Amino acid sequence: MAPAFPSGDDWTNFGIGGRPNYKRFSFRDIVLRNRLTALVVDGVNFCRMVEEGFLRACGVETQGVDNGDAAVELIASGAKFDLIVIDMYLPILDGLETTRRIRAMGTRCKMVGVSASFSERDGQAFLAAGVDALSEKPLSPEILVPILRELDGQYSSI
Amino acid sequence: MERNPMRRQLQTMRKSLFDQGHLDEQFVQLEELQDDANPNFVEEVVTLYYRDSARIILNIEQALERKPFDFNKLDAYMHQFKGSSSSIGAKKVKAESTVFREYCRSRNGEGCMRSFQQLKKEYATLRRKLEAYFQVARQAGPMETACRPK
Repeated sequence: MAPAFPSGDDWTNFGIGGRPNYKRFSFRDIVLRNRLTALVVDGVNFCRMVEEGFLRACGVETQGVDNGDAAVELIASGAKFDLIVIDMYLPILDGLETTRRIRAMGTRCKMVGVSASFSERDGQAFLAAGVDALSEKPLSPEILVPILRELDGQYSSI
Repeated sequence: MERNPMRRQLQTMRKSLFDQGHLDEQFVQLEELQDDANPNFVEEVVTLYYRDSARIILNIEQALERKPFDFNKLDAYMHQFKGSSSSIGAKKVKAESTVFREYCRSRNGEGCMRSFQQLKKEYATLRRKLEAYFQVARQAGPMETACRPK
Protein backbone atom coordinates (compact mmCIF):
# COMPACT_ATOMS: atom_id res chain seq x y z
CA MET A 1 0.00 0.00 0.00
CA ALA A 2 1.13 3.61 -0.56
CA PRO A 3 3.07 5.04 2.39
CA ALA A 4 1.42 7.75 4.50
CA PHE A 5 1.90 11.17 3.00
CA PRO A 6 2.85 14.12 5.22
CA SER A 7 -0.29 15.99 6.14
CA GLY A 8 -0.84 19.71 5.93
CA ASP A 9 -0.38 19.84 9.71
CA ASP A 10 3.27 18.91 9.19
CA TRP A 11 3.95 22.14 7.35
CA THR A 12 5.00 24.29 10.25
CA ASN A 13 7.56 26.43 8.52
CA PHE A 14 7.21 28.25 5.26
CA GLY A 15 10.25 29.82 3.63
CA ILE A 16 10.28 32.82 1.37
CA GLY A 17 8.10 32.10 -1.64
CA GLY A 18 5.81 30.13 0.62
CA ARG A 19 7.51 26.77 0.12
CA PRO A 20 7.47 24.38 3.04
CA ASN A 21 10.90 23.54 4.46
CA TYR A 22 9.92 19.90 5.11
CA LYS A 23 12.44 17.53 3.45
CA ARG A 24 10.52 15.27 1.10
CA PHE A 25 10.65 13.57 -2.27
CA SER A 26 10.04 15.90 -5.19
CA PHE A 27 9.39 14.95 -8.78
CA ARG A 28 12.06 17.44 -9.79
CA ASP A 29 14.81 15.83 -7.68
CA ILE A 30 15.29 12.89 -10.03
CA VAL A 31 17.73 13.14 -12.95
CA LEU A 32 17.42 10.27 -15.41
CA ARG A 33 20.45 9.13 -17.37
CA ASN A 34 18.44 7.08 -19.85
CA ARG A 35 15.39 7.62 -22.00
CA LEU A 36 12.34 6.20 -20.22
CA THR A 37 8.81 6.00 -21.57
CA ALA A 38 5.51 5.76 -19.74
CA LEU A 39 1.84 5.28 -20.46
CA VAL A 40 -0.83 6.74 -18.17
CA VAL A 41 -4.24 5.09 -18.28
CA ASP A 42 -6.77 7.22 -16.40
CA GLY A 43 -10.34 8.04 -17.38
CA VAL A 44 -10.45 11.33 -15.46
CA ASN A 45 -8.94 13.97 -17.76
CA PHE A 46 -7.38 16.30 -15.24
CA CYS A 47 -6.08 13.41 -13.08
CA ARG A 48 -4.37 12.06 -16.18
CA MET A 49 -3.00 15.57 -16.90
CA VAL A 50 -1.50 15.69 -13.40
CA GLU A 51 -0.04 12.16 -13.61
CA GLU A 52 1.45 12.85 -17.05
CA GLY A 53 2.77 16.18 -15.76
CA PHE A 54 4.58 14.48 -12.86
CA LEU A 55 6.16 11.89 -15.14
CA ARG A 56 7.30 14.53 -17.63
CA ALA A 57 8.72 16.58 -14.76
CA CYS A 58 10.80 13.51 -13.93
CA GLY A 59 12.06 13.48 -17.52
CA VAL A 60 9.94 10.55 -18.71
CA GLU A 61 8.44 10.59 -22.22
CA THR A 62 4.79 10.12 -21.44
CA GLN A 63 1.60 9.28 -23.31
CA GLY A 64 -1.90 9.08 -21.92
CA VAL A 65 -5.13 7.30 -22.79
CA ASP A 66 -8.49 7.64 -21.09
CA ASN A 67 -9.77 4.07 -21.16
CA GLY A 68 -8.64 0.47 -20.85
CA ASP A 69 -9.55 -0.55 -24.38
CA ALA A 70 -7.31 2.15 -25.86
CA ALA A 71 -4.44 1.00 -23.64
CA VAL A 72 -4.79 -2.61 -24.78
CA GLU A 73 -4.96 -1.55 -28.44
CA LEU A 74 -1.87 0.60 -28.08
CA ILE A 75 0.15 -2.25 -26.56
CA ALA A 76 -1.22 -4.70 -29.14
CA SER A 77 -0.06 -2.36 -31.91
CA GLY A 78 3.50 -2.80 -30.68
CA ALA A 79 3.98 0.28 -28.49
CA LYS A 80 6.50 -0.38 -25.73
CA PHE A 81 6.73 1.40 -22.41
CA ASP A 82 9.04 1.15 -19.43
CA LEU A 83 6.23 2.04 -17.06
CA ILE A 84 2.44 1.95 -17.12
CA VAL A 85 0.41 3.87 -14.56
CA ILE A 86 -3.14 2.57 -14.54
CA ASP A 87 -6.27 3.59 -12.64
CA MET A 88 -8.31 0.78 -11.14
CA TYR A 89 -11.60 2.28 -12.30
CA LEU A 90 -11.64 2.89 -16.04
CA PRO A 91 -14.44 3.34 -18.55
CA ILE A 92 -15.12 0.64 -21.18
CA LEU A 93 -12.62 -1.91 -19.82
CA ASP A 94 -11.80 -1.66 -16.10
CA GLY A 95 -8.30 -1.42 -14.68
CA LEU A 96 -8.14 -5.03 -13.48
CA GLU A 97 -9.12 -6.55 -16.82
CA THR A 98 -6.94 -4.09 -18.74
CA THR A 99 -3.97 -5.11 -16.61
CA ARG A 100 -4.67 -8.82 -17.14
CA ARG A 101 -4.87 -8.36 -20.91
CA ILE A 102 -1.71 -6.29 -21.04
CA ARG A 103 0.16 -8.95 -19.07
CA ALA A 104 -1.35 -11.72 -21.21
CA MET A 105 0.22 -10.07 -24.27
CA GLY A 106 3.62 -10.67 -22.70
CA THR A 107 4.21 -7.14 -21.41
CA ARG A 108 6.73 -7.31 -18.57
CA CYS A 109 7.21 -3.61 -17.88
CA LYS A 110 6.62 -2.07 -14.45
CA MET A 111 2.97 -1.31 -13.78
CA VAL A 112 1.72 0.93 -10.97
CA GLY A 113 -1.95 0.70 -10.07
CA VAL A 114 -3.63 3.86 -8.77
CA SER A 115 -6.97 4.50 -7.15
CA ALA A 116 -8.63 7.10 -4.91
CA SER A 117 -8.37 4.57 -2.10
CA PHE A 118 -7.61 0.87 -1.84
CA SER A 119 -9.38 -1.59 0.37
CA GLU A 120 -7.17 -4.56 1.18
CA ARG A 121 -9.28 -6.67 -1.16
CA ASP A 122 -9.03 -4.16 -4.04
CA GLY A 123 -5.29 -3.85 -3.56
CA GLN A 124 -4.79 -7.61 -3.54
CA ALA A 125 -6.98 -7.99 -6.63
CA PHE A 126 -5.02 -5.35 -8.53
CA LEU A 127 -1.71 -6.97 -7.59
CA ALA A 128 -3.06 -10.38 -8.60
CA ALA A 129 -4.13 -8.90 -11.95
CA GLY A 130 -0.52 -7.95 -12.58
CA VAL A 131 0.44 -4.52 -11.26
CA ASP A 132 3.75 -4.37 -9.40
CA ALA A 133 2.94 -1.55 -6.99
CA LEU A 134 -0.02 0.44 -5.73
CA SER A 135 -0.38 4.16 -5.13
CA GLU A 136 -3.40 5.96 -3.78
CA LYS A 137 -4.22 9.07 -5.75
CA PRO A 138 -2.52 11.45 -6.04
CA LEU A 139 0.42 9.58 -7.55
CA SER A 140 2.99 9.58 -4.80
CA PRO A 141 6.61 10.60 -5.46
CA GLU A 142 7.62 8.20 -2.66
CA ILE A 143 6.32 5.35 -4.84
CA LEU A 144 7.23 6.72 -8.28
CA VAL A 145 10.75 8.13 -7.82
CA PRO A 146 12.32 4.87 -6.54
CA ILE A 147 10.66 2.96 -9.40
CA LEU A 148 12.05 5.40 -11.98
CA ARG A 149 15.52 5.20 -10.41
CA GLU A 150 15.33 1.41 -10.56
CA LEU A 151 14.28 1.47 -14.24
CA ASP A 152 16.99 4.02 -15.03
CA GLY A 153 19.53 1.84 -13.24
CA GLN A 154 18.50 -1.23 -15.25
CA TYR A 155 19.38 0.58 -18.47
CA SER A 156 22.68 1.81 -17.08
CA SER A 157 23.78 -1.72 -16.11
CA ILE A 158 23.20 -3.12 -19.62
CA MET B 1 11.14 39.47 2.67
CA GLU B 2 9.01 39.98 -0.46
CA ARG B 3 8.99 43.68 -1.40
CA ASN B 4 6.29 43.56 -4.03
CA PRO B 5 2.96 44.12 -2.19
CA MET B 6 0.99 41.90 -4.58
CA ARG B 7 3.51 39.10 -4.07
CA ARG B 8 3.25 39.57 -0.32
CA GLN B 9 -0.52 39.37 -0.53
CA LEU B 10 -0.20 36.23 -2.64
CA GLN B 11 2.12 34.59 -0.12
CA THR B 12 -0.26 35.45 2.71
CA MET B 13 -3.21 33.99 0.83
CA ARG B 14 -1.24 30.89 -0.01
CA LYS B 15 -0.06 30.34 3.55
CA SER B 16 -3.62 30.79 4.79
CA LEU B 17 -4.89 28.09 2.39
CA PHE B 18 -2.43 25.64 3.96
CA ASP B 19 -2.76 26.84 7.56
CA GLN B 20 -6.55 26.57 7.44
CA GLY B 21 -6.27 23.03 6.11
CA HIS B 22 -7.86 23.65 2.72
CA LEU B 23 -4.82 22.41 0.78
CA ASP B 24 -2.15 19.79 1.32
CA GLU B 25 1.22 18.80 -0.11
CA GLN B 26 -0.26 17.75 -3.43
CA PHE B 27 -0.88 21.41 -4.29
CA VAL B 28 2.82 22.10 -3.74
CA GLN B 29 3.65 19.23 -6.13
CA LEU B 30 1.39 20.84 -8.75
CA GLU B 31 3.12 24.18 -8.28
CA GLU B 32 6.44 22.52 -8.97
CA LEU B 33 5.13 21.46 -12.37
CA GLN B 34 4.56 25.10 -13.27
CA ASP B 35 7.37 26.58 -15.34
CA ASP B 36 7.93 28.83 -18.35
CA ALA B 37 6.52 26.17 -20.67
CA ASN B 38 3.41 25.74 -18.45
CA PRO B 39 3.04 29.09 -16.63
CA ASN B 40 -0.61 28.57 -15.69
CA PHE B 41 -0.51 24.85 -15.02
CA VAL B 42 -1.98 24.98 -11.53
CA GLU B 43 -4.86 27.26 -12.49
CA GLU B 44 -5.60 25.08 -15.54
CA VAL B 45 -5.64 21.93 -13.44
CA VAL B 46 -7.87 23.50 -10.80
CA THR B 47 -10.26 24.82 -13.47
CA LEU B 48 -10.49 21.35 -15.00
CA TYR B 49 -11.06 19.86 -11.57
CA TYR B 50 -14.05 22.10 -10.91
CA ARG B 51 -15.43 21.38 -14.36
CA ASP B 52 -15.02 17.59 -14.03
CA SER B 53 -16.18 17.37 -10.45
CA ALA B 54 -19.31 19.48 -11.02
CA ARG B 55 -20.69 16.54 -12.99
CA ILE B 56 -20.00 14.12 -10.14
CA ILE B 57 -21.60 16.48 -7.61
CA LEU B 58 -24.70 16.61 -9.79
CA ASN B 59 -24.77 12.81 -10.08
CA ILE B 60 -24.60 12.49 -6.29
CA GLU B 61 -27.33 15.10 -5.81
CA GLN B 62 -29.61 13.24 -8.19
CA ALA B 63 -28.80 9.91 -6.55
CA LEU B 64 -29.68 11.38 -3.13
CA GLU B 65 -33.11 12.36 -4.48
CA ARG B 66 -33.95 8.76 -5.29
CA LYS B 67 -35.23 6.60 -2.45
CA PRO B 68 -34.16 4.12 -1.32
CA PHE B 69 -30.55 5.21 -1.63
CA ASP B 70 -28.31 3.15 -3.83
CA PHE B 71 -25.35 3.21 -1.44
CA ASN B 72 -23.10 1.28 -3.81
CA LYS B 73 -23.63 3.86 -6.54
CA LEU B 74 -23.20 6.75 -4.10
CA ASP B 75 -19.97 5.18 -2.85
CA ALA B 76 -18.70 4.73 -6.41
CA TYR B 77 -19.39 8.39 -7.27
CA MET B 78 -17.70 9.57 -4.11
CA HIS B 79 -14.73 7.29 -4.75
CA GLN B 80 -14.21 9.07 -8.07
CA PHE B 81 -14.74 12.47 -6.48
CA LYS B 82 -12.23 11.69 -3.74
CA GLY B 83 -9.60 10.71 -6.30
CA SER B 84 -10.14 13.94 -8.19
CA SER B 85 -10.03 16.08 -5.06
CA SER B 86 -6.85 14.37 -3.86
CA SER B 87 -5.20 15.19 -7.16
CA ILE B 88 -5.39 18.94 -6.55
CA GLY B 89 -4.64 18.71 -2.83
CA ALA B 90 -8.16 19.65 -1.70
CA LYS B 91 -7.59 18.43 1.86
CA LYS B 92 -10.90 19.25 3.58
CA VAL B 93 -12.93 18.15 0.57
CA LYS B 94 -11.04 14.88 0.48
CA ALA B 95 -11.56 14.34 4.22
CA GLU B 96 -15.30 14.89 3.91
CA SER B 97 -15.39 12.46 0.96
CA THR B 98 -13.98 9.81 3.27
CA VAL B 99 -16.66 10.58 5.88
CA PHE B 100 -19.37 10.28 3.23
CA ARG B 101 -18.00 6.91 2.09
CA GLU B 102 -18.04 5.65 5.68
CA TYR B 103 -21.73 6.55 5.89
CA CYS B 104 -22.34 4.73 2.59
CA ARG B 105 -20.66 1.62 3.93
CA SER B 106 -22.74 1.71 7.10
CA ARG B 107 -25.87 2.38 5.01
CA ASN B 108 -26.56 5.61 6.94
CA GLY B 109 -28.70 7.79 4.67
CA GLU B 110 -29.01 10.70 7.11
CA GLY B 111 -25.27 10.68 7.60
CA CYS B 112 -24.74 10.73 3.83
CA MET B 113 -26.97 13.74 3.40
CA ARG B 114 -25.35 15.68 6.26
CA SER B 115 -21.89 14.85 5.03
CA PHE B 116 -22.75 15.84 1.48
CA GLN B 117 -23.99 19.24 2.62
CA GLN B 118 -20.72 19.78 4.49
CA LEU B 119 -18.73 18.60 1.50
CA LYS B 120 -20.47 21.05 -0.81
CA LYS B 121 -19.68 23.86 1.62
CA GLU B 122 -15.99 22.97 1.74
CA TYR B 123 -15.91 22.55 -2.05
CA ALA B 124 -17.50 25.99 -2.61
CA THR B 125 -15.27 27.65 -0.02
CA LEU B 126 -12.13 26.26 -1.62
CA ARG B 127 -13.31 27.34 -5.05
CA ARG B 128 -13.91 30.88 -3.84
CA LYS B 129 -10.52 31.08 -2.15
CA LEU B 130 -8.66 29.62 -5.12
CA GLU B 131 -10.40 31.97 -7.57
CA ALA B 132 -9.33 34.93 -5.44
CA TYR B 133 -5.82 33.50 -5.16
CA PHE B 134 -5.42 33.02 -8.93
CA GLN B 135 -6.80 36.48 -9.59
CA VAL B 136 -4.06 38.00 -7.43
CA ALA B 137 -1.48 35.61 -8.94
CA ARG B 138 -2.33 36.83 -12.44
CA GLN B 139 -1.93 40.44 -11.35
CA ALA B 140 1.28 39.74 -9.49
CA GLY B 141 2.89 38.15 -12.54
CA PRO B 142 5.06 35.03 -12.76
CA MET B 143 6.97 34.01 -9.63
CA GLU B 144 10.61 32.94 -9.88
CA THR B 145 11.00 29.45 -8.56
CA ALA B 146 13.99 27.56 -7.28
CA CYS B 147 13.14 24.68 -9.59
CA ARG B 148 15.94 23.43 -11.73
CA PRO B 149 14.95 23.37 -15.42
CA LYS B 150 14.86 19.86 -16.93
